[in-house]
Amino acid sequence: MKKSNVAMLTVFLALIPLTLFLGDKLPGKGYYITGVLIIIELSVPFFMAFEKRRPQARELVVLAVMIALAVIGRVAIPIPHFKAAFAIIMLTGIAFGPETGFIAGAITAFASNFFYGQGAYMPWQMMAYGAGGMLAGFVFIRNKIPKKPWIMAVIGFLSVVFWIGPLLDTSHIFIMMPEINISTVTASLASGFPVNVSQGICTALMMLLFGKPLLEKLDRVKMKYGMTEGENGV
Amino acid sequence: MKQDAFSKLHPAVNLLFFIGAIAFGVLLQHPVYLLAGIFASGAYYLFLNGRKGLKNILLMIPLFIFVTLFNPIVNTRGVTVLFSYLDRPYTLEALIYGVAVAATFVLMLLWFGCCGRVLTGDKFTCLFGNLAPSLSLLLVMVFRMIPNLLQKAKQIIGVRSSIGKGTAEKSSLKDKLNSGMTVMGILTSWALEGSITTSDSMRSRGYGTAKRTSFMIYRMTATDWILSAVMLVLISVVIFFAASGSMNVQFLPERDITPIKGFNAIGFIAYFGYLLIPTILNIREVIQWKFSESKI
Repeated sequence: MKKSNVAMLTVFLALIPLTLFLGDKLPGKGYYITGVLIIIELSVPFFMAFEKRRPQARELVVLAVMIALAVIGRVAIPIPHFKAAFAIIMLTGIAFGPETGFIAGAITAFASNFFYGQGAYMPWQMMAYGAGGMLAGFVFIRNKIPKKPWIMAVIGFLSVVFWIGPLLDTSHIFIMMPEINISTVTASLASGFPVNVSQGICTALMMLLFGKPLLEKLDRVKMKYGMTEGENGV
Repeated sequence: MKQDAFSKLHPAVNLLFFIGAIAFGVLLQHPVYLLAGIFASGAYYLFLNGRKGLKNILLMIPLFIFVTLFNPIVNTRGVTVLFSYLDRPYTLEALIYGVAVAATFVLMLLWFGCCGRVLTGDKFTCLFGNLAPSLSLLLVMVFRMIPNLLQKAKQIIGVRSSIGKGTAEKSSLKDKLNSGMTVMGILTSWALEGSITTSDSMRSRGYGTAKRTSFMIYRMTATDWILSAVMLVLISVVIFFAASGSMNVQFLPERDITPIKGFNAIGFIAYFGYLLIPTILNIREVIQWKFSESKI
C-alpha cells in the first residue's frame, strides 16, 4: 500500500474519531477547535502526497502561475462576490487532476488571505477552495466527459452553488453561531445562498469565455515543452 | 514595514502565542476572562493598526450587537422570558449567552487580525520551510508572481489601448468583458512561457538534485527562549485552573458563573498576563526608547 494511502486511512479510522471524541469534552466554543483540527487532519494527507511526489521545477512553476492568476482573480476584480478565482482553480483541477486541483485551491485561499487579511474562517476557505479544485479534477478525469465550455460552465455553476459555497458557509456555523443545531445550520446555509449563486454565475461566465482558451494554452505549453514526460524528456 | 517588539521575536514564539491566545479565547466563556481577552487583544490590535485599527474596532460593534440579538432567536432555553413572538420565547439567559458568544466572536476577529499582521508570509515559509519544502517554495513563488503579473497586466492594457483596442468608461459591459478576457488570455500565455524559462533556470542551478537548505533570518535568542518558557508555564497554569473548574460557567437554562476570588484569581492573573505579553513588550520598548532619548 502507498504511504499516502496509509496516512489517509489512519486519519479516517483513528485521528478524526479521536478528535471528535475529545473535542466533545471541550468547554465553550470548543467545536471551533474541533472543526479546525479536523480540516487540518483531512488536508495533511494531500499535502504529504504532494511533498512525497517531489514535484519537479516545471510543475511547481506552472502551478504557481495558476495560483497567482487565481489570487489576482480574487483580489483584482472589484465587483463583490463576483470573483474569477473559483473558475481558475477548477480549470487547474481539470488540467492537472484532482490532487493538484486541491493543492491549487488550498494555496490560493491561503495566499490571497495575506492580501485580504487572515481570519478565523481561513481553514474552511482552504478546504472549500481545495475541494472545488479536486471535484473539478474528478469530474473530468481521463477525458470521459468532453471538456466543452458549456459543460464546464454548468459544472462550475453547480459545484459553486452546491459544493464550494455550502462548504464555505459552514464556517459561519462554527464561528458565529452559539451552538450547532438544525436551525443555526439552515440559517447559515440560507444566508449564504444568494452570494453563492452570484459566484456561481461568475464562474460559469468565466468557464464559457475563458475555459477553452486557458486549457488550450496549458496543453500548448505541455506539448511544446514536453511537460508530461517529466524533467528529462526535454 | 515597521515591526513592533513582538513581531521581532522568532516566528515560533509568535505562533505559540497566537495558538494559545485563540484557543483560550474560544474555550473560556467566563465573562471576566472574555473581557480580559477583548481588552488585551484590542490594545495590541490598536498598537499594530493605529487609526485604521480604531475604525475596524468601531465596525465590530454592530456585528457584536447583531450576534447578541440573534442568539435568543435560535436558542429558546432559559428561565426568564422577556417576551414571546410566534409562540417562541425570547429569554434573558439566551440574551446574556448571546453577549458571551458575540464577545468570543469579536475576540477571534481581533486575535486573527493581530495574527495576520505579525505572522507574515515570510514567517510562515520560515516556520514550515523544512517541514514542507515544495509547498513553501510554491507559496513564495506565488507571493512573488502576484505583483509581477499585475505589472504585466498593466503593460498589456497599456499596449492595447495605444493601438486603439482599449476600453473606456463608457464602453458596453460586453466590450469590457471581452477585453478583460483577452487581457487575461495574453497574461496567461505570457506567464506560462515565462514559467518555462524560470523552471529551466531552476533546473540548471540544480533544483531537486540535493536537499534544499533555506536562509534563516530568525534565530532563537535568549529572549525567545525565556519568553517561550514563560508562555508555557502560564499556559499550564491556565489549563490547571480551567481543569479544576475555577473558570466554569453556565448560561442556559440558568446562569451559574463561578466567582473569581481567592485561590482562583491566580488562574485569571496567569491568563491576563499571558495575553498582555505583546503589549508589555511594546510598552517596554517605548519606555527604553524614551529613556535613551532623554540621555542624549
